[in-house]
Amino acid sequence: MRQKGWLALVGIAVALVALPAVRHATEFPMFYLIFLSGILFWAAQSTSWNILSGYSGYFSFGQGAFFGVGVYAMAILFGRQGMSWWVAALAAGLASMLLGLAIGTIAFRLRSLRGEIFALLTLAIPFILASLARLSKAIDGGQGIVIPVPEAPSFLSQFQEFVFVVSGLVALFALSVAYVMQRTRYGWALFSIRDDEDVAEGLGVPTFFHKMIAIGITGLIAGISGAVAALQLGFVSVEGTFNLDVPLFVIVMSVLGGRGHWAGPMVGAVYVYTLQNRLASGGFEGWSLIVLGAILVLVMLLAPQGLMAGFRRRPWLSAGIFIVVFLGLWLLGIMSDPVTALALALGVTAIIAFIPGGEKRRMSPPVGAGEPPEHHAPVGDEMADVMAEARRPLLVAEDVVKTFGGVRALRGVSMTVHVGELVGLVGPNGSGKTTLVNLISGAFPPTSGNISLDGTGIVGYRPHRVAHLGIARTYQIPRPFTSLTVRDNVAMAIMFGRDPLGLDASRRAATEYLDLVGLAGRADAFPGEINLHQRQLLEMARAIATRPSLLLLDEALAGLNPVEIDNAVEVVRRIRRSGVSIVLVEHLLRVVNQLATRIVVLDQGLELAEGEPAVVMRDPAVIKAYLGRQADATGD
Amino acid sequence: MIELQAAVSGALNGSLFALMALGLSLAWGFLKVINLAHFAMILTAGYLTFELATSTGLSPIATIVATVPLMFVVGALIQLGYERFGVSELNSLLISYGLLIITVQVVTNIWTADFQRLPTEINPYASESVAVGSLRFPMPTLLAAGFAVILVVTSALVLERTYAGRALQAFGQDREIASAFGIDHRLLGVLLAGAAGASAAIAGMLFPIGGTLTPDLPFEWIGQVFAIVILGGIGNVTGTLYAGLLVGAISGLVAVIWTPSTSPFVVFSLVVLALVFRPKGLFPQKGG
Repeated sequence: MRQKGWLALVGIAVALVALPAVRHATEFPMFYLIFLSGILFWAAQSTSWNILSGYSGYFSFGQGAFFGVGVYAMAILFGRQGMSWWVAALAAGLASMLLGLAIGTIAFRLRSLRGEIFALLTLAIPFILASLARLSKAIDGGQGIVIPVPEAPSFLSQFQEFVFVVSGLVALFALSVAYVMQRTRYGWALFSIRDDEDVAEGLGVPTFFHKMIAIGITGLIAGISGAVAALQLGFVSVEGTFNLDVPLFVIVMSVLGGRGHWAGPMVGAVYVYTLQNRLASGGFEGWSLIVLGAILVLVMLLAPQGLMAGFRRRPWLSAGIFIVVFLGLWLLGIMSDPVTALALALGVTAIIAFIPGGEKRRMSPPVGAGEPPEHHAPVGDEMADVMAEARRPLLVAEDVVKTFGGVRALRGVSMTVHVGELVGLVGPNGSGKTTLVNLISGAFPPTSGNISLDGTGIVGYRPHRVAHLGIARTYQIPRPFTSLTVRDNVAMAIMFGRDPLGLDASRRAATEYLDLVGLAGRADAFPGEINLHQRQLLEMARAIATRPSLLLLDEALAGLNPVEIDNAVEVVRRIRRSGVSIVLVEHLLRVVNQLATRIVVLDQGLELAEGEPAVVMRDPAVIKAYLGRQADATGD
Repeated sequence: MIELQAAVSGALNGSLFALMALGLSLAWGFLKVINLAHFAMILTAGYLTFELATSTGLSPIATIVATVPLMFVVGALIQLGYERFGVSELNSLLISYGLLIITVQVVTNIWTADFQRLPTEINPYASESVAVGSLRFPMPTLLAAGFAVILVVTSALVLERTYAGRALQAFGQDREIASAFGIDHRLLGVLLAGAAGASAAIAGMLFPIGGTLTPDLPFEWIGQVFAIVILGGIGNVTGTLYAGLLVGAISGLVAVIWTPSTSPFVVFSLVVLALVFRPKGLFPQKGG
């Protein structure tokens, strides 16, 4: 997988360098070089779009803005000011990156800004830039700008060869960045944001930072690529730059090729550009947008994973059929025009990709039996140490109040968790248990009051900082990253935990946490393939993989059958023995009585009682508020 | 005085945008569908109005007899498609973007990319205007404002007063619970989408009355209409009307105070600010 990716990139690089030379030798028509330059341009643009919108799921209609800033930076700096073309191209990339960062600073800071609103916001940005460019004489003023032909290096005898090589370098840069991201924490952070941003943040992923990196890179690549396109065009105008072609094409290309894989947008670019080219040369210009729109609708409805997912299921078959059909049609002289042969070969191969079935490929390759790294070594029975530390307060919540609009969910709750304790947090529905968990984990700030961990105040910290300080949580309804395997869900938590590891080391280290919860056997399954009990165990494994000092279990046993409950109770015991203090929010009194060293009872946002389980459960006020008459106060 | 004229005329223009935003806002709020195909329906209805009026000589307003039922069916069918494939909110945006692109190109292929204008003998409204004191209002904008107010008030009443309206509100707040209480969400959703399509037909009819048609009009509308949807509050019909009037008035004022070409820039910048600071809309509803 790793080798294949690099192989593909090196192959593109070699082809790039060799092609102008081959053209001199064989004298094939310049048209093919122009055709390939077009594909390279769109591969760069769609890959750039995909890093933000495919990887992180923040869908953008604003690709035209990044492209346009690149185009105009080149037009002004090189065309008007006479700067050297490559300095202008780099400056164009930087300008566009700055635009991306500016958009991100505004849009990503607001947690209420949902993906849909972000998408519509990006729809407006090219319009703003277009009217700015039209108004300002310093930019365009409505006249357009002429760009002279740059002086190409001497070994490239023709302008088109120069454009080809430069477009190729930009595309190669874009693909390499996308590839490296997919293999490292930078891509994985974005995948986790796409799957469930809140959970990612809670596991320690600094989501704002990673979204900013994504939008910055998207801008950088789109800007440089736009600058090169401006060189090729020779004349730029507002109407020709900020129109809807760029956003439409990158979206269709990425959706068709596949948004989850670095090579998907490139594959889509080859398909869409070839198809457009054939439609135009066949006199069907009027159909080109209809075909694009239809591709978008059909792929989204029927095969949202895109072509790349299909190719990866049958890599050799797809490649073989493509090569045989293409060379067969071309070399045997059935098709005199190689682009038509290419279009037909692509079409036939696409049919293969969309046939379901075939070998199922996992995101994660089999993991070797490498030694887990030292600092993630399994934690043994350290109860002795823990007991020595006992009575040292770990979590202190003081007079915590939380109101939602007019509703007072918590009306002044104080609570202390000591090192090594397992505190049961109980109370009727609506008593404020989950609100308290959300406040402690930093999901939102309290209206007033103080919360500290190990003496450090955590109020106002973003959830990922709270996670890095040592608080982990699980969700009542498990929220795994659905596109990642069980192992990779846990690896994710290690990669962004308090002692972050690389991807491969994290995958190896994940095994021990899966062992601890008894889920190692399902490590390569996807969350959709395991049952509720196993998903709840996965929640716990993922939480302890952040190596917390305090674990908040929010109804981690809800909906389980008795056998599963016994198993889960055993897992919680094991987690506690490994030295983690626990707050257990739970409805099942049998479980709380078995596990908890102490119980805190909440009722209507206030603490009703606190103390040893046996004592608290006999408290008449508790029985009245929480248990009603029929319940057996002492459990079983 | 010229400022007042500009502000009021702008507000009246804004009401037409509110009318376009109405169906989008309802579908987004209650059906969780961001339907860019709404613009495709408005465009198609506009061209059908043009075609029917010129070929039969009927008043353009009379063409709604044909376009309203047609767009009701189209809107309902699209919603059936979304239901059938279980399309998510974000995916509906993408899919309907595809539908919009297709429609724009089909319209271009049929009616060409040139401007199309109704002949004055069929469309007397274009040259009429009404004077109120020293202010003058062209008939087309008054018609647009009238239809917008009627439709917004009707929708608000239906949502507040009828069983179907209340069921829709319940459904918009919590789909699963509402379904569990026996609300047939499919039927309601299809009816609502049909009604949104019907409103698109009326909005579409107003464009050839007021001016010229070109196939790429939807791309000029999208930004401002979504601005109104979000500023008004998603699913909040009266908020949509207020937001339309407000955005229209600002845009009219900017056009006379500076130049007309600055007005989209100022409006969009305000919209971005509003999006960022008031993502739930300028007119929060009671209890929301």
